[in-house]
Amino acid sequence: MSQDNKMFLLISKLLMPMATYLNNSRYLQVLRDAFMLAFPITMFGSIVVVIANLPFLDKFMSEGTLNAFKSSLGNAPSATMGIMSIFVVFGIGYYLSKSYNVEAVFGGAISLVSFLLLTPFLIEVEGMTEAVGNVLPLDRLGAKGMFLAMITGFLSGEIYRFVVQKNWTIKMPDGVPPAVAKSFSALVPALLTLTVFLLLNIGVTSLFNTNLHDVIFNVVQQPLVKLGNGLVPTLIAIFFVQLFWFFGLHGQVIVNSVMDPIWNTLSLENLNAYTATGEVPNIISKQFVEIYTVGLGGSGSTLAVIVAILLFLKSKQLKQIGKLSLGPGIFNVNEPVIFGLPIVMNPLIMIPWIVAPLITVTVTYFAMSTGLVPPPTGVAVPWTVPMFISGMMATNSLAGGLLQLVNFLIILAVWFPFLKFIDRLNLKKEQEEAANHKDEAV
Amino acid sequence: MKKVLLACSSGMSTSLLVTKMQQHAASIGDEAKIWAVGQDQVGKEMEEADVILIGPQMRFLLDKLKAQTSKPVEVIDMMAYGTANGKAAYEQAIKLMG
Repeated sequence: MSQDNKMFLLISKLLMPMATYLNNSRYLQVLRDAFMLAFPITMFGSIVVVIANLPFLDKFMSEGTLNAFKSSLGNAPSATMGIMSIFVVFGIGYYLSKSYNVEAVFGGAISLVSFLLLTPFLIEVEGMTEAVGNVLPLDRLGAKGMFLAMITGFLSGEIYRFVVQKNWTIKMPDGVPPAVAKSFSALVPALLTLTVFLLLNIGVTSLFNTNLHDVIFNVVQQPLVKLGNGLVPTLIAIFFVQLFWFFGLHGQVIVNSVMDPIWNTLSLENLNAYTATGEVPNIISKQFVEIYTVGLGGSGSTLAVIVAILLFLKSKQLKQIGKLSLGPGIFNVNEPVIFGLPIVMNPLIMIPWIVAPLITVTVTYFAMSTGLVPPPTGVAVPWTVPMFISGMMATNSLAGGLLQLVNFLIILAVWFPFLKFIDRLNLKKEQEEAANHKDEAV
Repeated sequence: MKKVLLACSSGMSTSLLVTKMQQHAASIGDEAKIWAVGQDQVGKEMEEADVILIGPQMRFLLDKLKAQTSKPVEVIDMMAYGTANGKAAYEQAIKLMG
């Protein structure tokens, strides 16, 4: 076994428990499922936002008609991503209860109410001295309340299932219909959990004259999200995605478990701002990370690699992998390249594999921070949408698609010398094999 | 009827292999149900299967799935996976069935 291989196996052994923990941890799994629950809902809202912002609408509609058209569609984003925290908190309560095998739908409902118990039913309107009561502030149910929703979802879900599992429930005598008995069995856990959150809210509002929404937003969410919107933390995340994949472990699944709460919040902020004003505040978001890395042929942006193999390389073995990988690669599925080329634990490929996406992410970041290309609007684009189309959809601009093409060429340039080298080695091997065959034939 | 379940993160890349495995099974005259799911579905779908194969990039699921079922669970060989070698993967599944 070569030196490289020994070292790689050692690192692989170190990464494995990390991957196992991050993927299989109950809380991260519940969080992933909760965001999955919100996905089709945000997808619907996204499609409507795309329709409302089609670039050519102003060509055949007067300004008045266009505004009326836009406002008639306004309920769609408001009812979906506008109140995303509701779906997330319900989803967490639901899936957490399910993971403990306790009545899940009650868990979801209790988490939702716990979250609302912490929410001030007031909004402060500019120009008015007194806050308006008897209303739910929409922004707190959306991006702004996201971290409180996650924290509350887990806390209330844990209290609820704890009480259920302790069996502190009201037992119904035999003969009571099961549905009736079920509703009573949720009674004590619900009352106890909700009391905790009511008291918590009373404590915070009366003692500190604030509310948990503001506290969590300012102390937890804002700093984390700001950090996540920076280039360096994004590069670190991408580095780990590439590193995990290099050892044949699904980098996105592992890294996203940690980063998704931040990236999704950034996306949501973008989308809300975009729907309201047409401006996008954050460069980094879920779509940035997805469309400008995975969106170029899969993790590590390998569509360029496949094209390079098919156009410029001669080795039969590589050509075969290239042909097999092209179809899935167009739709950003690239396991054939990763395991077939192979990329996994291949010392000749480690450098372009890790370095190329770091370069393209940096280029993309600066293209957007300088205003050359608009950042993604936060509209959800499935990661299987092919390059160029996905870039245009995500940024609602041609420039977003062109930037993907530029990235494609960068990936190609970084990989090319390494691929050429592997090609030469392979050709030599293939020629030797052919010669051996001849010898045997003689 | 041999029932083989493949699992990966979203069931996309394993579905590539499914087609190739089906072709191989048909070519040797085996009657087989082979399908792919994502990790969120695998717990439920496992009940239907005789054997479960995991995409190598999700191999950290192995111990978790083994704890949930008495059916054989194994990680697909990396090279067979990368080259979408349906024959190798199908033979791996058959061997596991014993």
